[in-house]
Amino acid sequence: MWRKVTAICLAVSMMVLTCACGKSGTVTYKGETDTNPDKGLEVMGDHVTYDPNHLVNDGDPIELDWWLWDAPDLFGSIAEEYEKIHPNVTIHIINNPWDGFWTKLPLALQKGEDGPTLFNVHNSYQHLLLNYMEPYDIDIQDLEEDFFTAKSHEIDGKIYYMDFGIMTGAIYYNKDMWAAAGLTEEDIPKTWDEFREVAKKLTIMEDGKMVQAGFNFNGDFENLMQGVPYQYGDTIFDETGTVPRLTQEGQIETAQMFLDFYEKDHVGDKDFGTDAAQSFGQGQSAMVYRWGHFYGYMETNYPDINYGTFEIPTATEDPFAYDRYNGESTPGINKNATPEQKEVAQDFIRFYLANQEKQKELCMNYSLFPSNNALRDDKDLLKNPAIQAVSEHIDNYIWPGAMPATLGDNLKIACQDMMYNNTPVEEALQNAEDIVKVDLSNQEFVASENLYYRYSEHQ
Amino acid sequence: MLKKRRPLQSKSEIVLRNIVVIFLVVYMLIFLVVPVVIAFAGSFHIWNPLNGTYKWAGLDNYIRMFQYPTFWLSMRNTVVFCAVVVFFRVVLGLALAYAISSKLMKHKTFFRTIFYMPTVTPLVAVAYVWKIMYNPQFGLVNHLFGFDINWLYDSKFALVAVMVMTIWKDFGYAVILFMSGLISIPTDYYEASNIDGANAWQTFRYITLPLLKPTMVFVVITSLISYLQAYVPVMVMTEGGPGTSTFLSSYLVYDQAFVKYNFGFASAIAFFILIFTVILTIFSFKLTGETSPRKKVR
Repeated sequence: MWRKVTAICLAVSMMVLTCACGKSGTVTYKGETDTNPDKGLEVMGDHVTYDPNHLVNDGDPIELDWWLWDAPDLFGSIAEEYEKIHPNVTIHIINNPWDGFWTKLPLALQKGEDGPTLFNVHNSYQHLLLNYMEPYDIDIQDLEEDFFTAKSHEIDGKIYYMDFGIMTGAIYYNKDMWAAAGLTEEDIPKTWDEFREVAKKLTIMEDGKMVQAGFNFNGDFENLMQGVPYQYGDTIFDETGTVPRLTQEGQIETAQMFLDFYEKDHVGDKDFGTDAAQSFGQGQSAMVYRWGHFYGYMETNYPDINYGTFEIPTATEDPFAYDRYNGESTPGINKNATPEQKEVAQDFIRFYLANQEKQKELCMNYSLFPSNNALRDDKDLLKNPAIQAVSEHIDNYIWPGAMPATLGDNLKIACQDMMYNNTPVEEALQNAEDIVKVDLSNQEFVASENLYYRYSEHQ
Repeated sequence: MLKKRRPLQSKSEIVLRNIVVIFLVVYMLIFLVVPVVIAFAGSFHIWNPLNGTYKWAGLDNYIRMFQYPTFWLSMRNTVVFCAVVVFFRVVLGLALAYAISSKLMKHKTFFRTIFYMPTVTPLVAVAYVWKIMYNPQFGLVNHLFGFDINWLYDSKFALVAVMVMTIWKDFGYAVILFMSGLISIPTDYYEASNIDGANAWQTFRYITLPLLKPTMVFVVITSLISYLQAYVPVMVMTEGGPGTSTFLSSYLVYDQAFVKYNFGFASAIAFFILIFTVILTIFSFKLTGETSPRKKVR
């Protein structure tokens, strides 16, 4: 008898456990009620403005989840500031690791209102998220007046997310090695030819073996290949924005130039470490090409290295563009959240976009050039070497669009084939182009290169 | 004569049995059968479950698979990887198990533990450590053997390097299995062979090896199945590079599904690998024989 009872109890408890993941019933929010619409605070922002003196959700308690993959304290501080103004709102910061974030988030959003109301976006995953996103309820003209990259995120007259800051590449150089080679600030190169000569001076060989690389781009070749060809006027996609073109003259010339740095000029070596960033940090390489987040990497891992930055050299004096850039995005809103949650989320996004102080903090944290025009000349931001290096010609950088992974992946394969497998440049790039074409044939990607202000010159 | 079936002891035993069986069947249905059916259906679609894309594509994914250059390269790599790693796993496992089982060997438990340790260490951690060991500038491998090789970035060595790591990681499992196989061989056979004047090689060749055949078949088949699914070492150590020189078929499935989000195409490749695994398993059974070797010896 007891065995039977135990067996039944076991079965019931397992069934209960199995079903425990189901949805709960009506949601009731706990927390403070806000009755005071007059906060006594000033209106924030220039064109996108935020007037804090109102009640949200009629002052009734409400909770929102905000999913992110990094900097929970920093993003949390924005939520806290908002919660101070609107004490009836509770924003739960949920930090997930990057690995798995882009699988977990779309699956969570498929759960409708059980998914997070707010979530941080990376533009390379736009194709996974757009179906679940609510457009911002803010006048597009106002957004474009305040944020110089806003237009590039317009989809059918709506904006679902945009950049709070943008990042691009620059050359990082070791100042001690620079001085030891007899170089001064006057020697900062503007063109690749000048750069080659400087790199030669910075290279040290002992007994036929390299002990200091003048320029190390191991692991960064594909990043250079995605940006430097713009200097020659080569866009990655054709006029329709859908057909990849990776075998144009400028792209071949760019690839050959970098290969020659190693093979002809011997300013570096493909086998001199596998990671240029690490090599620079360990004082083995004098110059590397890195993106803005390298500043944080150096601060964390190699704070004792004395380094400076300069803008990426160019092929000509007046290049079509300097390099590509990518943005760090503002949060998205779950279109399937409850109407109350969406209303609060829209209000929060307006607060976020009008809050220049918080945007500045974010840009400082990630070494981003601010998208907000009001912060363009901010002295604190310009002290950051990663931002300072790109600030002069920031308008001459191109965003190719929310590119599918296949492009970067296949360019990486092509670059490794050229560098390590001795595949001829044309063949490697042709292989990459062929595979990217096949991969993109099933996707609805359209490049944003045509939004670049000098695009017509290229045409 | 028909063997009489043992009656179940009580009603509660029947209830418990039914509950356990039902849960197992449900578990297999939910976590095995249903996903396989969904993936099979998905292989005929342009499919991305993360954004809800599900469009009929007929045989396009399969046609594309046969035209995809990385697919054939990855299949070739997979065959080489499986053949080499399985061979060395069996040879090393058997040799060490035989050595440890020898009467002359002391500290058997110590060696058994040492050899089994890599097997219980997490694969990702092992792969990271080996990645550092292969570093051309400060890696242990070059320092120890006096080489100047960029192991993971030279297409001549990258797959070899991944294979060496895999063999090191997995041979201990074969050692344990072969040891249990060796223990289960009755000592009578060895005594008989001794009386007949067989030398050590003859004893191994005509007594040990045939009687270890079931263990051998088990090790070979399970190794083949697991290595056809191998992608973690590649993901950690080379990401398929340099170029595509270390792409394995399962890594291609991972890359297509979870990097490029082409779940339909990835499912088509996965089904091809499934069929390939079945064929290879049948072939292995045929090659190693299915009859009981113990009967043959008798």
